[in-house]
Amino acid sequence: MSNPSEALIRIVDLHKSYYDGESELPVLRGIDLEIKTSELLAVVGASGVGKSTLLHIMGTLDRPTTGRVLYGDQDIFTFPDTELARFRNKEIGFVFQFHHLLPEFNALENVAMAALITTPNNKAIYEEAASLLEYVGLAERLSHYPGQLSGGERQRVAIARALINKPKIVLADEPTGNLDRRSSEAVHELLWDLSTKSGQTFVIVTHNSELAEQVDRVVQLVDGKVF
Amino acid sequence: MKFEWFVASRYLRSRRKQSFISIISIISIGGVALGVATVILVIAVLDGVEHGLRDRFLSNEAHVALHIFDHSFFKGYQERIERIEAIDNVVAASPVIFAQIGVFREYSNTIQDVIYIKGIDPAQEDKVTGFSTYVTGSTDFQNSELIEKAALIKEGQTITGGIILGGRLATRLGVMKGDVLRLLVKLVESPIDPSLLIPDLANFVVVGFYESEMEAYDNSFGFIHIDTAQKLYNQENHVNFIFVRLTDAELAPQIATKIRDAADFSVLEGMPNTRTWMEAQAALFSALQLEKIATVIIEALIILVASFNIASTLIMTVMEKTKDVGTLRTLGASRGNIMKIFMIQGSVIGTFGTMLGTALGLSICWLLSNNAERPSYWYVLALIVPILLQIFIASQHAMRRRGGWKFAVAVLWLIGISFALYCAVRPISLVDLGLSQIYQMHQLPIKINWLFVIFINLLSFAICWLATLYPAWQAANLKPVEALQHE
Repeated sequence: MSNPSEALIRIVDLHKSYYDGESELPVLRGIDLEIKTSELLAVVGASGVGKSTLLHIMGTLDRPTTGRVLYGDQDIFTFPDTELARFRNKEIGFVFQFHHLLPEFNALENVAMAALITTPNNKAIYEEAASLLEYVGLAERLSHYPGQLSGGERQRVAIARALINKPKIVLADEPTGNLDRRSSEAVHELLWDLSTKSGQTFVIVTHNSELAEQVDRVVQLVDGKVF
Repeated sequence: MKFEWFVASRYLRSRRKQSFISIISIISIGGVALGVATVILVIAVLDGVEHGLRDRFLSNEAHVALHIFDHSFFKGYQERIERIEAIDNVVAASPVIFAQIGVFREYSNTIQDVIYIKGIDPAQEDKVTGFSTYVTGSTDFQNSELIEKAALIKEGQTITGGIILGGRLATRLGVMKGDVLRLLVKLVESPIDPSLLIPDLANFVVVGFYESEMEAYDNSFGFIHIDTAQKLYNQENHVNFIFVRLTDAELAPQIATKIRDAADFSVLEGMPNTRTWMEAQAALFSALQLEKIATVIIEALIILVASFNIASTLIMTVMEKTKDVGTLRTLGASRGNIMKIFMIQGSVIGTFGTMLGTALGLSICWLLSNNAERPSYWYVLALIVPILLQIFIASQHAMRRRGGWKFAVAVLWLIGISFALYCAVRPISLVDLGLSQIYQMHQLPIKINWLFVIFINLLSFAICWLATLYPAWQAANLKPVEALQHE
């Protein structure tokens, strides 16, 4: 499935430390990682080892202390804020442990939101959002608000939302960490199906061993480094 | 709809479905509206009082009074008046004999009151102070019918002429039209013993009443004809005052100098002096000025409070929406997008609040100055109708989502509140409050200064907009990761 020449993301000597007053707390200590196009990659590791931090930096939500993240040839952290936001909008989809849906907007609007940022009020966007919701099995729930959906349903809306702008890469941070077994399985199946059909790159941070077994490649994070 | 408007308008709306907008939006809009309405109303009342008093003064009082320093008589006033009336911006000038006089109680030797007496030429005086418009009864000082009748009653005594008395003064003295007043004009040497001074008394018959609603005049003034006055004081062709009316009262200080020059008093006649209406009423108007400055400071504080209200509302919203801000940032909203969302929210609150406040303030001003017959205060209870309907709709799950119902209830609220205001807000009677003598007006006067209304609107918009800056900036600078993890 993966072609070594098509490195989508190259992470070079990435360090991230948190500062608490005067003491420095290093979390990532020199990560080197290449992720190829269409790869389904799982990042595993103990709690607090920096998996989420790595994912946030890959997703441009956080900045590294030192080191670079290259998408193709572009060093994304040289971008100004507006451009970075635009890049995030177009190229990256996120799924989190908690659904993070906007409570004031219904399922359809939540899914369409990322596309509306750049092209407001576009009918085609809502049609696309509706078909994505249909794909995740929520065709009947378009006008329901997050508060009216179950946990599994919310997470499926969140997955649909990550896909609206057809991003090159989807970053998922323990997407089933908060769900019961049955809902988890449904979400897993959805992710497999997507990764095989769409050719998009998936990076999934997980504790779930079942999930880790089914991916193309597993990367283990120990003591701030990749193994 | 732009993306920022799409999100901001949703945040302004209610999360519960039984009302149009969220309670927090209502409270902030109400805060701004109350601030703006109060400012408009209070300034309208203050302006009303000041202008009311001014108009009263200016319609009754000469703009400039010319006299010799010690109020002594001077001759040649006709020529002087001609010269004064030739000055630019002078409307008219009127010769006046101005003095104080004692009123004797009938059948007794005691002086009952001391009053001001103004000897005037009615035709000339009309041009300067609008004298005859305030007189009820006759302005004919030599009214022969009344004088003859009085002469019959007071047989053997001469009647010098007619007098027009201030209305309140007449009430206090207990005299009616046709009654005779015995006035102590001056003291004269006794023909028997020149070292003795004896009172020179004169009888006047009351021919009319002067009712200007100006306490100072109605309470202590009497008017007689200038010819009579000149005879009383043995000053034929002399007066001691010239009263002048100008085209614009504000010009009084400048024109006063020209009037002094035009009068051209010789050194022997004495030192000329002028007194403008502003000097005459200086104490009152400086008190009003002080009051206004104090009010403007208080108003500025009210608006400031309202703006703090907006800022705190927005900061609360930002805090409440921290997680959403994080989400929006992960979806690719830029700092600029986030900032705009919250600034739109604040601006909408500011705009609606200011507009509502202006409408409310102007409506109350209108209601306070409208004397139409109102329905009973009890009709304020009609407000119960929208309240009940609101409760009913809130309790009816099925109706929550119908936009039409919400709109109907909003309209009903508007009608209800307007009607309640119409019943409850009435002109405030100063007579009932016992203040009519102090302010010399029947009801609380209202004067809307449109320039000030526009200024307050702009100020309110500006302050509301400024109040949005910090919270919006705060929201825009939330770190996406921290915002997402915010609980």
